[in-house]
Amino acid sequence: MKFNHFIKKSLTRQIIALMGVFTLLFLAGTIILTLLQEHVNSSYYKEREKLVKKEEIVQQIDHDFNLVFFNVRGYFAYNNSELKNQAASLRPGIRKLISEYNRIAATPEDKAFGKEMDEFADFYFIERLPASIEYFEAGRMDEVIKLADSGATARINSFQDETHDYLQNLHKELNDRVQSLIIKQSYIQTGFFLFLVVILVILFRMIRIMFKKIGQPLTQFANAAEEIARGGKAELHVGQERMDELAVLSTAFSKMVRTLQEKEQDLLAQNEELLAQQDELQAQREELEEVLGTMRSNERKLERRNELINGISNSLQKQEVLESIVNNMCYVIEADCGLIVMLQNGESASFGISALGVEQFNNHLASGFIDRLKQTKEGFTVKRQLLQEEKGYHERTVFGYDLYLPIISSNQEVTAVMVFTRFGFPFIQTHMDEYSALSKQIGLSLDKISSYENSEADRKLNQDILNTVKEGMQYVDRDGCILQVNKQLCEMFHCQDGFAGIVGQTWDKWSVLLKKQVVDEDGFTEFIWRAFNGETSSGETFVYKTKDRGHVCQMYCEGLYQNNERVGTVFVHRDITKEFKVDEMKSEFVSTVSHELRTPLASILGFSELLLNRELKPEKQKKYLMTILNEAKRLTSLINDFLDVQRMESGKQTYEKKYIELLPIIEKVIDNQQVQTDVHRIILESFDGNDLILGDSSKIEQVFTNLISNAIKYSPSGGPVYLRLYEENSLLHIEVEDHGLGIPENAAADIFNKFYRVDNSDRRRIGGTGLGLSIVQEIVRAHDGYVSFKSKYGEGSTFIVSIPGVYKPSHGLDENIHQSGTRYEVLVIEDDQSLAELIIQELTENNLHAKHFNTGRDALAYLENHLPDAIVLDIMLDEGLDGWSIMKILKRNEVLSHIPIIISTALDEKEKGLSLGAHDYFIKPYQTGSLSLAILQTLLKVGKAGQILIPENSPGD
Amino acid sequence: MKKILIAEDEEILRMLISDTLEDGDFSVDEAEDGEEALQLMEKKQYDLVILDYMMPVLTGLDVIRKVRSGMNQNKDVKILMLSAKSQQNEQEEVLNAGADYFMVKPFSPLQLLEKVGEIADEV
Repeated sequence: MKFNHFIKKSLTRQIIALMGVFTLLFLAGTIILTLLQEHVNSSYYKEREKLVKKEEIVQQIDHDFNLVFFNVRGYFAYNNSELKNQAASLRPGIRKLISEYNRIAATPEDKAFGKEMDEFADFYFIERLPASIEYFEAGRMDEVIKLADSGATARINSFQDETHDYLQNLHKELNDRVQSLIIKQSYIQTGFFLFLVVILVILFRMIRIMFKKIGQPLTQFANAAEEIARGGKAELHVGQERMDELAVLSTAFSKMVRTLQEKEQDLLAQNEELLAQQDELQAQREELEEVLGTMRSNERKLERRNELINGISNSLQKQEVLESIVNNMCYVIEADCGLIVMLQNGESASFGISALGVEQFNNHLASGFIDRLKQTKEGFTVKRQLLQEEKGYHERTVFGYDLYLPIISSNQEVTAVMVFTRFGFPFIQTHMDEYSALSKQIGLSLDKISSYENSEADRKLNQDILNTVKEGMQYVDRDGCILQVNKQLCEMFHCQDGFAGIVGQTWDKWSVLLKKQVVDEDGFTEFIWRAFNGETSSGETFVYKTKDRGHVCQMYCEGLYQNNERVGTVFVHRDITKEFKVDEMKSEFVSTVSHELRTPLASILGFSELLLNRELKPEKQKKYLMTILNEAKRLTSLINDFLDVQRMESGKQTYEKKYIELLPIIEKVIDNQQVQTDVHRIILESFDGNDLILGDSSKIEQVFTNLISNAIKYSPSGGPVYLRLYEENSLLHIEVEDHGLGIPENAAADIFNKFYRVDNSDRRRIGGTGLGLSIVQEIVRAHDGYVSFKSKYGEGSTFIVSIPGVYKPSHGLDENIHQSGTRYEVLVIEDDQSLAELIIQELTENNLHAKHFNTGRDALAYLENHLPDAIVLDIMLDEGLDGWSIMKILKRNEVLSHIPIIISTALDEKEKGLSLGAHDYFIKPYQTGSLSLAILQTLLKVGKAGQILIPENSPGD
Repeated sequence: MKKILIAEDEEILRMLISDTLEDGDFSVDEAEDGEEALQLMEKKQYDLVILDYMMPVLTGLDVIRKVRSGMNQNKDVKILMLSAKSQQNEQEEVLNAGADYFMVKPFSPLQLLEKVGEIADEV
């Protein structure tokens, strides 16, 4: 009973118990059935073994007897005693087998058969066989046969039959046993099947029990829980008699449901109470909100007032401040529109008023209100009827109230006035104090702005002055902080944000910013530090190089004193790159010239000395003299180069330009140059175009001599030098191409500069003054052309000379002119009569038609109706207009400005003449014929000549 | 016979110097530039080296510095420097670097011969 109770209290235990009983049943059934099977099988095998054993023995006995009979008969037949002995030897075996059989014989039949076999053996071996053998040996064969016939043979046969019968019975018995085993086996199988069925039934029962005990109550719980969750009521019907966990759960669940229901009641009650409280709170809140609203509006007013003050104190932009004043004032004093006007310059800002309104007000400023404000310096209000546009859609009369407020500066002057208007409700007189307080505040800030504006204007003026200075300047206060810089300084040091990027920087920052851009950082820092501390002597300078562009700058510093107290330092940075470069180039030039001149000089002097002081063989003498000659030539050409450059620099180089063919000149230069070298081949590519230019042939020759000798010099290992001519864009281009050292990229910009030589150890052995290319450029430019080059460092260079090509008349000038029937008209303005006649004569000789005037006025009058092809102009004229004025007048006139002007004067002001637009400038006296040539060349250049000078069959006609 | 090395890039001047020294009892080697001069000094011990200042590849000054730093057997060889530049500071620079004598271009061949003779006697 107690155990039963123990099991019932736990579901787990119940399940374990059920499972246990089931397992026990299953095991017991299985064991019993297995044992039974085992038993049936073993008893069958035992029986079978016995029967088989018996069978084997009987068969052996039968076999042995047969052998005995066989041998005995053989003995009798052949009288072979061997056979007799064999028969005798089988006897003990047979006896042994028989006695073995008797031992295992169980049934009465077996025992009877055993006795029978014993008896037969006795009969045969004891009774008959000895007797037969005795008879046989005695030779009494008949007796033997008689004995046999007397039943011995019959007995043997019957024994053999019996034996066979017995064996057959044994077989039958074996079969019976097998049959009975099969039947038993099938019984046992049926038993197994039934057992399984029973077990399944029991299992099913168990599941049913578990479902009833657990599943059903759980479903009930679920339904009940759901019902409660939905808010309904639910009862549980879990068996009262149960004692397990479900019973406990059910009790707890019921209790919980009860508690929940009680709580719900409580909450409902509380809720009602809270609702009542909330109503009360709502009322309180509304009350508070009302108070808060008032506070907020006050606060907003204060904020606006703050904003007004912030707005006018935060900005120094006058217009911005004025607008902020009007907007904020309107809000603060609750005006509908407002206006502020500066009396001094009429600057104004408004709120709610149209531009027209503002203008009208400004126009009437001088009327009474202003005077009153100026006199009383106190604000006042005015009531008036609103204008139609102010009233808007209101029909009845509405009054507006204007508040006039003066703004008074620190020196008690009215500097500005403010007017604010309320539509429909008046300004309260008691608020006037507040209004005037505000206006005072505004006055103060306007004062501040005006003083700021003054100082700003001063500062700007100072800055502008500073910016005009070419040097970079910075002013550092005594704490090391930068107070002011000028534009140049910002540019020199790449201040990214302009002044803002550097002004106001402390010593630590700006000194680093600047020194980073200087090559000698430490030297720079040391100098500015010494200068800042006043340790530099006056006039001491520091020269530094900038990192990025390699500019060279010179810096000096001056202390700034106020009342004998040092208040700061001014640093001045002067860009001396140009001077520095010129200096550098000059000294390099001096050194080069010195070297270049001394080398040939050393040869000339040395060899002369040897010639004078030594006895030399004639060949040697000749060799030395040749050397002296060559070196002297080299000296001459060097000196000529220097002189050329000098001439060109001073603008004194003259060019005698004629129509010249380029090819023959180039061929000549090539011939001269080819002689100088064995390793180079100078190749002129064929060209059959027009090679005519207007130029000075000796100068042009110099251009190509320089270029080709450069090509040879700068390709020391030899190779071809190509010359190529081609026409493009009416320019004649001549290329000189070598495959030598090439020009390094960094040298490209300076290559045409005077004295410039590519600094490179490879090139130092290549002589030269650094003047060749600069001379080339100068000459080509004088021919209205240009030189360019392309080069790849290490692979060679190509220099290209581009000069305008021209076409020469095929039949000569005269014929053309006669053929076309036109002659160029040249206006000659010259007051010296005899000179004029000379000029006219020269022009006429050259088939130009001269028209002469003594004064500019007459000439200008003529020009109103005529368009000559060129004008020859004297500068110093007797009456009124001089040559310069005439030129200016002509150049201003659209039609006349295109007429070429050739100046013919005693004044040496060529540059002025050319800059004013003259095409050529002749200083009297000049060679006869040169004026006409210049005019023709000019006409050729401006394209006038094309109509008559170009032959009929040439292209471009 | 004293062994003399001439380093001079101008062929004509090289010829002038070697012809000048022809009369004396010298064996003369010639180099076209500083590097070639160094290569020759690598192989042979000289009694005197006549160096031009302005030479390609290696200047006379470079050569002196290299020789005096003991890069070959001619560490203590007498050196006569020829230069077209006659500035005082250059002369000092050359002598400080280790040249024994200095002669300005253009020079007198007879003087040069005389000088070389003196140096040869000293050695």
